Amino acid sequence: MKKKMDAVLRHVFLALLAFVWLIPIIWLFVTSLSSYKGINTMHFFPTKWSFDNYIRLFFRPDTVANFPAWFTNSLLIGVFCCLISTAFVLMVAYAMSCMRFKGRKALMSFSIILGMFPGVLSMIAIYFVMKLLGLTNSMIGLIIIYSAGSGLGYLICKGFFDTLPVSLRESAKLEGASELTIFTRIVIPLSKPMIVYTVINSFLSPWMDFVMAKLMIRSKDPSDWTVAMGLYNLVQKTLVGEYFSLFCAGGIIVAIPISVLFVVMQRFYVEGVTGGAVKG
Amino acid sequence: MRRALDALKEYFGDFAHAVAKGDVWTKLSLLIMGSGFFARGQILKGALVTLLEAGFVTAMGFSGKYVSKLGTLGTVQREEKLDLTTLMKTVNDYDNSLLILLCGIIGILLVFAFILLYIGNVKAAYRLQKRKEEGKPISGEVNELINDKFHVTLLSLPSLGIILVNIIPILFMVCIAFTNYDIDHQPPTYLFTWVGFENFKALFTSSTTVTFGYVFIRILLWTLVWAVLATFTTYFGGILLAKFINDRRTKCKKLWRTLFVVTIAIPQFVTLLLVGKMFSDYGIVNSFCSKIGLTAFLQNIGLVSEGLSYIPFLSKPGWAYVMVVLINIWVGVPYQMLSATGILMNIPQDQLESAKLDGASERQIFWKITMPYMFFVTGPSLITALIANINNFNVIYLLTSDYVTSSMKFANSNAKEVDLLITWLFTLTNDYSNYKMASVIGICVFIICAALTLVSFSRMIAGNREEEFQS
Repeated sequence: MKKKMDAVLRHVFLALLAFVWLIPIIWLFVTSLSSYKGINTMHFFPTKWSFDNYIRLFFRPDTVANFPAWFTNSLLIGVFCCLISTAFVLMVAYAMSCMRFKGRKALMSFSIILGMFPGVLSMIAIYFVMKLLGLTNSMIGLIIIYSAGSGLGYLICKGFFDTLPVSLRESAKLEGASELTIFTRIVIPLSKPMIVYTVINSFLSPWMDFVMAKLMIRSKDPSDWTVAMGLYNLVQKTLVGEYFSLFCAGGIIVAIPISVLFVVMQRFYVEGVTGGAVKG
Repeated sequence: MRRALDALKEYFGDFAHAVAKGDVWTKLSLLIMGSGFFARGQILKGALVTLLEAGFVTAMGFSGKYVSKLGTLGTVQREEKLDLTTLMKTVNDYDNSLLILLCGIIGILLVFAFILLYIGNVKAAYRLQKRKEEGKPISGEVNELINDKFHVTLLSLPSLGIILVNIIPILFMVCIAFTNYDIDHQPPTYLFTWVGFENFKALFTSSTTVTFGYVFIRILLWTLVWAVLATFTTYFGGILLAKFINDRRTKCKKLWRTLFVVTIAIPQFVTLLLVGKMFSDYGIVNSFCSKIGLTAFLQNIGLVSEGLSYIPFLSKPGWAYVMVVLINIWVGVPYQMLSATGILMNIPQDQLESAKLDGASERQIFWKITMPYMFFVTGPSLITALIANINNFNVIYLLTSDYVTSSMKFANSNAKEVDLLITWLFTLTNDYSNYKMASVIGICVFIICAALTLVSFSRMIAGNREEEFQS
């Protein structure tokens, strides 16, 4: 009897917790289905339901909200960042983990020190550099910003490579394989969890970041913005009364690519996180 | 220090040796860098190096005029003259301090890079010469790049990227901390110049008009308190939740886990803005609280001042401090749960079994086996998380965007009570163009993070552990 009570209490507690965690998400969802455009401060559930926000989001872009354009922009940036960042991280991690060369340790220490500078500090300076190169207000500029420095994030991946047995690489070398072959044919196929982890992280950063994007893209034309920038703009004081439910709908739509990525790769994600963490 | 000096001595010694003992081709490569390679049949490399040389020399030529003005950061202020005959505005040949500093830094980096390339090149030419003299074969260039020199191939592009978006901006901002670049000294209209340690002094002094000293200490303390609270609450919360869900008495583990993970799927800025709106002064939570009489109750016991008709969740210091930590738990626990789940599954089962056989209670097992194991595995990442929280821009910035400070002292320094150093820095640059103070604060943040990192990573950089796992 006591056991049964215990089990029930346990699940009730979990359900309560989960409920607390889900309230904002539920609110986001039901508000996105509201026909009232602003924030409904009196009722949790909308008084009138409608699907109009989603239709408006996709088919009726106006002067402040151009979701289709934002979505394509973010998707493009995300894909390119993903490719470049993953390549960079794997390359640096392989060099640091599997190769021995002069100055390797010094480079590693240096990269750790570099990583400790607050990113917000260099933001404005990056803006000046990009302006010098004429890349502000452009997608290419944003892709460069999000992915160029990604080589610094090699540590977790290096930790993973460190755990791969050396004997694998050595025997390949004895068979006459070049380092390039070892890298592409042995190490990369073995590091799927790590690749997945890096892919997710680098794909997500452009979807999440609005500060850097806001700083870089000074264009007033909403079709040049990214999803994060655009949605952030919708809840500014002057717009929130007209666009809040649209913002919610946008939030739900943005969650779709991210969730798909998560569901497909969840298994690897856990492995990837811990794979690096064990090494630290 | 001695070791570094010795290494330097060896570095330049080798160079001198190569120059002294080199043959005609090696010596010629002092002038035309590719000649050493050309002479030994490495045409591709020779061409590349010579091209690089040409590129470097032109680039250094361009940046030369900026480097020469680095000492003053420019002396000629911009002036517009209206030409009365043509009615056209003409602008004099003015100095732009910003461009001078930026291009000056790039120019100096170029010089350094060129020196490294130059010395390395002569040494390489000498090595090739020796190989030829000894009659050893000279390996193909491409072959070298995918074998012994593979790290060069791998690292060159990422390094270039890091130099572009990390090193140059950081150097630039560090320099700004020693200048008077603020809203009154904005290029191109005005010049700014070096002021030494003035800004650092300003950060630690307080007077009636300049309140940076007072505000800095306050914000620094709050930043540290926040970082510790945020890290430990989410850390333990995540572990406890993971433990709870993974318990064998819990049914439908997957379902529970998914319910919590759903919150990750929606980008942080969306959920944070949303939660911020929920808890705003006239938001839905407040109308709910006043409906059930909570607001009145809190007013009665004095937690909410009489004059307010709402609970100031995110608009008064005390409440806001608590709320951001609570909301951060909401944001952070699912992440932590996810990674803790993976680690918990890897706990050596034999230890748990034997503890159980010896009659250890659940609680004992948790504190004596599970937690030490978790600490062992996640210790280093705990420090990383602490640093990430010191720099946790999103949570604070998005939640407290409507917050207005009522303290004159904070307002004078463009800060709010709930600001972290990092959000303060951002407000200073973005809204008030106070770049000089922002840079000084940035340097302080760096020092704090560096100190923390040194503690945790010194073991790792010392780096005897990495081979342990490569057996």
